[in-house]
Amino acid sequence: MHIVEFENVSKSFSEKNILEDISFSVRQGEIFGLLGPNGAGKTTLIRLLLDIIRPDSGEIRVFGDFLNPVAKNRIGYLPEERGLYRKTGLLDMLVYLAQLKGMSKKQAHLNAEFLLKSLELDQYKNKKVEELSKGMQQKIQFLSAIIHEPELVILDEPFSGLDPVSTKTVMARILELKAAGKTIILSTHMMEQAQTLCDRILMLNKGRRVLYGPVDDIRRERGKNSLIVEFAEKGDLNAIRKISSIKKVIEHGKSVEIFPEEGISAQTLLEELVQKANLLRFEKTFPSLNEIFIETLESTSNE
Amino acid sequence: MNNFPGKTFIVAQHEFLKTIKRKEFLFMTFFFPLLLAGFSLLPAMLSGMNPAEDQKIGYIDMTGSFGFPESIQNEGLSLGSSETKTSVIEFVKYEETSDAKQALQAGQISSYLVIPEDFLETGTIEQYSLEKGSSLTGFELSAELSDIVVTSLLKGKVNESILNRVRDPVNIKFYNVGESGESSERSIADIFASFGLPIITAFLLLFSIFSSSGFLLRGVAEEKENRIIEILLSSVTPSEILTGKILGLGAVGLLQIGIWLAAVVFGSGYALPVKIEPNTLFFALVYFVLGFLFFASMMAGIGAVTGSLQESQQVAGIFTFAAALPLIFMQLILTNPESPFSVFLSLFPLTSPVAMLTRMGATTVPISQILASIFILLISVHVVILLSSRLFRTYLLMYGKRPKVKEIWKNIWTGSR
Repeated sequence: MHIVEFENVSKSFSEKNILEDISFSVRQGEIFGLLGPNGAGKTTLIRLLLDIIRPDSGEIRVFGDFLNPVAKNRIGYLPEERGLYRKTGLLDMLVYLAQLKGMSKKQAHLNAEFLLKSLELDQYKNKKVEELSKGMQQKIQFLSAIIHEPELVILDEPFSGLDPVSTKTVMARILELKAAGKTIILSTHMMEQAQTLCDRILMLNKGRRVLYGPVDDIRRERGKNSLIVEFAEKGDLNAIRKISSIKKVIEHGKSVEIFPEEGISAQTLLEELVQKANLLRFEKTFPSLNEIFIETLESTSNE
Repeated sequence: MNNFPGKTFIVAQHEFLKTIKRKEFLFMTFFFPLLLAGFSLLPAMLSGMNPAEDQKIGYIDMTGSFGFPESIQNEGLSLGSSETKTSVIEFVKYEETSDAKQALQAGQISSYLVIPEDFLETGTIEQYSLEKGSSLTGFELSAELSDIVVTSLLKGKVNESILNRVRDPVNIKFYNVGESGESSERSIADIFASFGLPIITAFLLLFSIFSSSGFLLRGVAEEKENRIIEILLSSVTPSEILTGKILGLGAVGLLQIGIWLAAVVFGSGYALPVKIEPNTLFFALVYFVLGFLFFASMMAGIGAVTGSLQESQQVAGIFTFAAALPLIFMQLILTNPESPFSVFLSLFPLTSPVAMLTRMGATTVPISQILASIFILLISVHVVILLSSRLFRTYLLMYGKRPKVKEIWKNIWTGSR
């Protein structure tokens, strides 16, 4: 089932096109990456999805229907521009935000208490946000996005400003949400995290769709058909160079990258290598999402 | 699942509770009236600290025709119905000026009066006192002296009732003639109710409108500044936020004005007997609600467009100044309630709540003008709410630079989102 569907959606502000003819869908239970450089239109796309702004043309369906107020209650949102009431107590604020999502006050209280306890923040529940450390504020912000048990969680740059430990914690939380059957839209320009977490991605550049599909397929399609190999003994490399089906060898310090001749697959080449040398390590190379990201941006920016 | 009006109510409730816990609200509501009361009671308290003392005053009557009583009660200056400070003035007769002067210097008397032989022609009485030391001045004594002079001159020459009339010529009693022709006596309380109360109400109204729409402005500007507005907008619609805020803060304003009116009624029970006119209360309520809606939605629009709290307060100041015009021209409206300028102020939506209530205190305003002013205000409220909710939708999520007036104008009409 498709949780989110965009069909030929366009949006402009003051005659500047922010999004142009965007189509994609998000499936239930997946982590969907929304990638792109700053200013690509990611936040605008999210605001359209949340019905905060309306598209100029095209159709947006959420939970199979046009977004209505009740459907809004089923979405949790962590905005890129973080914001909390500075002078309100933690518990009161979380309860208020959950109530705005249609949750009863009683249930909101229970959830808030539970979540604060799970993050060992319950001793701060009556403190004001401004009294908390920045790290704690970020945790609270995350809680405010999930307190009402949403089915769809939208996280806009959840890793920005986080140290490596907090980044790891947030990644674990995202995987927990997925395990609980939630659908997650993850907007980020941190490609390493996106590659690890996302099932499928949509990449935007200057308001246009430049890449869309499963992460693995995208990487495979752009595979360079080469092998990275590490030998047990140095001498093996010279033996390998004589193999006729090898077109090119590039040395990368300890390992070498081997390109087969046209028409020969990396798989066939590997079989040949195993017979001739003692391999310590080998891998078929796919470009990282980061490489694809940069390459795609460069090629689409030059249009 | 909650929906409208559920979320609007949650916003309203949140705003109400948040605001009444604010220090500024508590200060405005409880301390401010005390401060005002303090200022108005200060003169009375000061005069109370300096009570008139019993005194002996000498006199030399050169005409030989004055009958000074041995002593009189001097009521001094008193305020309201609080207990009056009375003092006794004893009059001591001297034959010679030198005796009186000696007595004055010896401190036996605080001053002495000389009634010269030509008093009947000139009406002059001379008072002598030491440079230092307290003595009732001639000014304070003049009422008593006039009484003594009149009595001395007329006693035995006219009958008692004429004498009394000359001493105390006129007492005015106020009557209202009702529609059916019957007359009823008007007390000071009635006069105060028809004159003072609307003006006090107008003042309170303005303060309450200012403070609660000010809270609204602050709230919106803060939510925009700290970006929580983005989370709010992902849960509720802009109009739900706007309506909820206006309702919640309107309730705060009503609570505040209720507390103030109760304080006025309760407090004035001591100073002045007050009767609250149902009509005045009714119009005060109508003007409060409309005035608040007008200002609050305007403030919400300003808060949405501007980028920071400070900036929004600067812009709001322009409108606040316009709204304060009736206070600046209060005297003019009171003394000249039918002048075109007064009528204009009572019809113009920015100023009409206060100006109209003030005029209603000063005169009987034709019902057509009251209705016209309410009608204009209603239309204005409608227009402002419409414009503000458009601005609210368009600008809440635009951070950074304040948009140009031209752009705002364009967006008001297109209502883009």
